[in-house]
Amino acid sequence: MATHPLKRLASGPLPAVTLVGLLLVSLFMMSESTQNSAQFGRLYVWLLGLNIAGLVVLVGLILANLYRLSRQIRQQTAGARLTLRLVVIFSVLALAPVSLLYYFSLQFLHRGIDSWFDVRVEEALTDSLELGRSSLDLNMRVVLRWQQSLAEQLVDTTEGQSTFILDELLSSSAASDLTLLGDNGRIIASSSTDPTALVPSQPGEDILLLVRERQPYVGLDQIRDLGLSVRVVVPIEVAGSTELRMLQGLYPVPERMSELADTVEEAFTKYRELAYLRTPLKYSFTLTLSLVLLFALLAAVWLAFLSARRLTAPIRDLVTGTRAVAAGDYSQRLPQPDNDDLGMLVRSFNEMTRRIAQSHDETQRSQRLVEQQKAYLEVVLGNLSSGVLSIDHDLALRTANSASEQILDVPLCDCLGQTLEQIASDYEHLQPLYKAWDERARLGVGLAWQEEVTLFGARGRQVLICRGTTLAASDPEHAGQVLVFDDITTLIQAQRDAAWGEVARRLAHEIKNPLTPIQLSAERLRHKYSPTMAPDDREVLERHTETIVQQVELMKGMVNAFSEYARPPQLARNPLSLNPLVEELVELYRGSEAGVTLDADLDASLPTVIADAGRMRQLLHNLIKNAFEALTDQVGGRVAIRTRTRHTSGGQLAELRISDNGPGIPDTVRERLFEPYMTTKLRGTGLGLAIVKKIVEEHGGMIDVKEPRSGGVSISIRLPVAIAEGAAPTNGAPPHPPDARHA
Amino acid sequence: MTDRRPGRSRRHAGKLAWAVLLVVSLLAPLPIMGLAADGDKARFTVLEASTRLVSEVYLLDARIAFDFSPEAIEALDNGVPLTVELQIEVLETSDLLWDGTVATLSQRDSIEYRALADLYLVTNLNTGELSSHTNLGAALAVLGQVVNFPMLDRRLLRVGSSYSARLRARLDVESLPLPLRPMAYLSSRWGLTSDWHEWPLTP
Repeated sequence: MATHPLKRLASGPLPAVTLVGLLLVSLFMMSESTQNSAQFGRLYVWLLGLNIAGLVVLVGLILANLYRLSRQIRQQTAGARLTLRLVVIFSVLALAPVSLLYYFSLQFLHRGIDSWFDVRVEEALTDSLELGRSSLDLNMRVVLRWQQSLAEQLVDTTEGQSTFILDELLSSSAASDLTLLGDNGRIIASSSTDPTALVPSQPGEDILLLVRERQPYVGLDQIRDLGLSVRVVVPIEVAGSTELRMLQGLYPVPERMSELADTVEEAFTKYRELAYLRTPLKYSFTLTLSLVLLFALLAAVWLAFLSARRLTAPIRDLVTGTRAVAAGDYSQRLPQPDNDDLGMLVRSFNEMTRRIAQSHDETQRSQRLVEQQKAYLEVVLGNLSSGVLSIDHDLALRTANSASEQILDVPLCDCLGQTLEQIASDYEHLQPLYKAWDERARLGVGLAWQEEVTLFGARGRQVLICRGTTLAASDPEHAGQVLVFDDITTLIQAQRDAAWGEVARRLAHEIKNPLTPIQLSAERLRHKYSPTMAPDDREVLERHTETIVQQVELMKGMVNAFSEYARPPQLARNPLSLNPLVEELVELYRGSEAGVTLDADLDASLPTVIADAGRMRQLLHNLIKNAFEALTDQVGGRVAIRTRTRHTSGGQLAELRISDNGPGIPDTVRERLFEPYMTTKLRGTGLGLAIVKKIVEEHGGMIDVKEPRSGGVSISIRLPVAIAEGAAPTNGAPPHPPDARHA
Repeated sequence: MTDRRPGRSRRHAGKLAWAVLLVVSLLAPLPIMGLAADGDKARFTVLEASTRLVSEVYLLDARIAFDFSPEAIEALDNGVPLTVELQIEVLETSDLLWDGTVATLSQRDSIEYRALADLYLVTNLNTGELSSHTNLGAALAVLGQVVNFPMLDRRLLRVGSSYSARLRARLDVESLPLPLRPMAYLSSRWGLTSDWHEWPLTP
């Protein structure tokens, strides 16, 4: 946590300003020292090193920034390319003027230094020096001659006398100092005008060597306390000896001449030094200027990085924010930069994201509401007992509730997007529904239709009441149709049972009740009057009363049969194999009717059905009996019973077909064949086939009558099979009782 | 466990880069500052050096050969005075620790050419003593002759300790005119320094 302020400080402008400031100060001091400033002269090498170190730091910073920028460009970081462009622009803008300035500064500098030197000045100074030398040479030659004459006076002088003679000679000459030296430079005697001078200025070894060669020496010399003087050393050949002595004389140059000579020499020396230092001076100034140029360039490039990064920071933020918004993050709020154009842009962006976030929240709320409503609608539709299908404008199934799947026994959710025609072709038992819808759906927009449709699938016979409506919508996308249907099989059965029960009750009440008094009255009449009547009359009475009683019994039987027909079924459904039952009844009826053959063709793999064995036995009785009755008085009558397994889209069905080769069905009864009291036989009740149909419907089956071209009648019955065959419940209850489908 | 987070590795790389930059920036001036010390070190040679104890004072006698480079002689002939420094150190030698410095002395002489008199002047900057010479060799011979240089009072040395003295000569670049200095710093031809000549000093 404590590092954050430090980090902020390090990444802020302070380090840059400090570094640039230090380098500027260092360069200033170096420039001062280059200009002969004693204050910084001693620090020159350190300043040079410091500046080079600073430049290396700048180069390092630039390289680090370049590396960072190149990495950002590779990673396609927002604003990196703009930063590069700005850096290049800033650098080029800085490079051009600085380079121009550097070039012209160097030119001016070199020309300025060169302009200090003039050939004429140099010649004048050389001539002045030569003039001075000539003037002094003349003086020196005079002094040499004088010195040689003095030396001649010392040729035969002993060492002990020499001091006195030197004093005399000094007093009579212009010399300020006379010294007699031995061969090896040893001082023999000395005399000086300066009484404080204890040791005379001695000639150098080079002069002594010359004089030892018997050559005189005369030359100018800078003597301490004397200034410019003429030093003369001449050899003295000691008389009568091989010993060599030397006489040195120091003759001060006249003061005025000395001053002039000093001036000329100083000017000449200074000029020559300057001329010699011209190239190093240029080199030194060029070095300083180059350092300044490098510093300016590197600092400009580095500051270009800092400035570009600072300039592109809001743009980088904007790009990052835009990407975040594009990715769906509307909570982005960019930091507020300065109050400039970019600041206004950032504020506008923040305002935009705020509004987008609001709209997005609003949309999400609306979407949630819609989804809630949709879920509610789905719950409502899912809990409806009615099947509801919606069909879009392309006649494809759009939605289907769970009740529709249960009623139709088709996984409609897997069929969404398919047309009803495709679905009906895949599930054949839906063909009647599709045909009914196809005929009605073309009626037009806004028109509703209703129709009862009977399906026969694996679950058996189903009666649906269908209601359809074409939806009116301004947008064709939302146009379509809605199909609502209910399974009213049970309802119809119940209504029918109730109707027939009412009929039976009314019959019992209206017909059966009077029959007993009629029968009793007829029997009482016979009992009361028969004994009293004549035999002929008695015979008539008994025959008529007997007729009344028989007819009444017959009517009672008819009423009881009808009651039986109309009574609500009390079915005991259990898994039942039809083949043994058929075989049993075939054996029962085989040979019972002369001239009629009974054949059975049974499917060994016929599946088990869920049925009441007693009712099925009655069904077979009625059918076989009905067939036998149709073949009465017919030669070569034949009844065939056949069982088969039928496969449909809804599953397996067990089919039972009874065919005869009788006269067929008269046209007058064909349409009302299964209605009660419809018979062509003299003694029939007319309930045989009605009961058959009733039993079939009680078991959810379908009955169909056909008249083959070969003649006769063929009645086929299809019953739904047990779904889990072989897993019959032990309590005898059907696994899927059709009547309990909607219970 | 190895931390492979890119952020941390980037931070490490950044710190490493800063460290390298710092080291390079510190080392960058060294070649410049060290150039003067490179090159022909043997142009100045301390031929011999010895001390004598006279009146409780150690007197130094030494002989030094000054072999100036052509660049230095050219500068001298063009009126640039050259300063030569004799650095003398008295060290207390120790087998365990580094040697301690007892005294440091410096003798500075300047040599210059006088065009009018065609002479080389040798000036002892410590005493102001002048000597003139008709040629450079004679001037350098005088310059390289150290006789009776009072080096150290014997009382400054402890009996029982071992001491040594060492001497070297060098051209004082700092005394050159400023325009010459950058070149002198960068060119080995101006790095005129002798090796240390060391001898024992018995108290």
